[in-house]
Amino acid sequence: MLWRLTWLLLQKDLRVASRSREVFGFMLLFALLCVVVFAFSFLREGEAAAAQVPGVLWVTLLFSGTVGLLRLFAAEEEGGALALVQRTRAGPHPLLLSKALLQLLFSGVTTLLLLPVVLVFFDARLAHPGLVLTALALGLVGQSVLGALVAALLVHVRLREVLLPLVLYPLLAPLLIAGVRITALTQAGAPAEALDGWLGLMLGYDALVLVAAPWLHARVVEP
Amino acid sequence: MIRLAADALGWAAGGRFVLVDVDLALPAGSLTVLTGENGAGKSTLLDVLSGNRTPARGVVKLDGVPLAEIEPAHLARRIARLDHAPGLYLELTAQENVQLFRALLHAERGDFDVAAVLDQVGLDRREQTRPVRSFSRGMLQRTAIARVLASQADVWLLDEPSTGLDRAGCDLLAGLLGDARDRGVTLLLATHDPALLPLADRHLHLRHGHLVPSEVG
Repeated sequence: MLWRLTWLLLQKDLRVASRSREVFGFMLLFALLCVVVFAFSFLREGEAAAAQVPGVLWVTLLFSGTVGLLRLFAAEEEGGALALVQRTRAGPHPLLLSKALLQLLFSGVTTLLLLPVVLVFFDARLAHPGLVLTALALGLVGQSVLGALVAALLVHVRLREVLLPLVLYPLLAPLLIAGVRITALTQAGAPAEALDGWLGLMLGYDALVLVAAPWLHARVVEP
Repeated sequence: MIRLAADALGWAAGGRFVLVDVDLALPAGSLTVLTGENGAGKSTLLDVLSGNRTPARGVVKLDGVPLAEIEPAHLARRIARLDHAPGLYLELTAQENVQLFRALLHAERGDFDVAAVLDQVGLDRREQTRPVRSFSRGMLQRTAIARVLASQADVWLLDEPSTGLDRAGCDLLAGLLGDARDRGVTLLLATHDPALLPLADRHLHLRHGHLVPSEVG
């Protein structure tokens, strides 16, 4: 039942997104713009600064993800459908899950398109691309679920555009630090075993978020 | 038989009570019109009666069972709500909106004729397949009314149901409300529209948080 309702809401979100064409395109454009700005900012004597790749990649994904999160509940707000959806059989869990999956989908596609661009712009190579992709996947899961939760909690708050990053970024710091470290170690050619601790941290963080976010969301949206 | 009842309801906001000791009993198959000045608390009362807000005092019962003891999904199937906002997804078509809310309320995937429900509210087939973002306020209201019809709930709490409707729309609404009452639906309408008063079995007025009966018509 949970997954059927989640799928129903996700289908609706994808249909809305495909017709409004306002979220994914902006996320991608914003991400590309960030990379270009960073690339020119970090030029050293005409050479791209490959050492900046971990920071540039993760910060760009954080910023472009925020663009998506700020519009995550826009369709519900515009037509006043949020309270109705929360009251239906769907309840709070499928709603949060569908929004997190939508954000994950958009962030995931953005990441896949962005990663080669970053590597080309900064003339960088990754020793273990599989491990970096795993770290990116773990990072995006945490960011999407926690981001969807924070967006849902702030949906009726007037200054949510300002508050969302202020609340979300400190919470995502462990995930961001681990992601940057994994990418940096991979770039430096460190053995795969050296990344285990950081990957474990990301895995643990995601597990905690996946349990805590739906619980907290359900408590908050109760009348 | 009393379908929906409120006993000594109180609700406060910003340090003042919006609803004070409100007692209400809505029989099954009845149509009650609720009037009151702007800010009198009509929408708040509808929120509390639908379970969207928890009262500070008192209790609301559906068929004698306190709302707090009813599973939220079941409550949503029993009580349909029409708010000031249409409660629609603007990028979806009228058919998709009604179909979505119907599917979110009811588990069965049987053949529910969404188009027929939208026919009832006066939207033609071409309009039904257009994203509702292009709709006028009255057409949005018709779609929202269709959403209530499709819910098949047996209690309807409607806030300003005639908002944006033209003369033909108001007549159509009156017919739909009358039909619903005849089917046994319990209706409570919060409105400023005097044209809806003749439909009422009972007219209540909310003044300074207190509910007072008025003459019907």
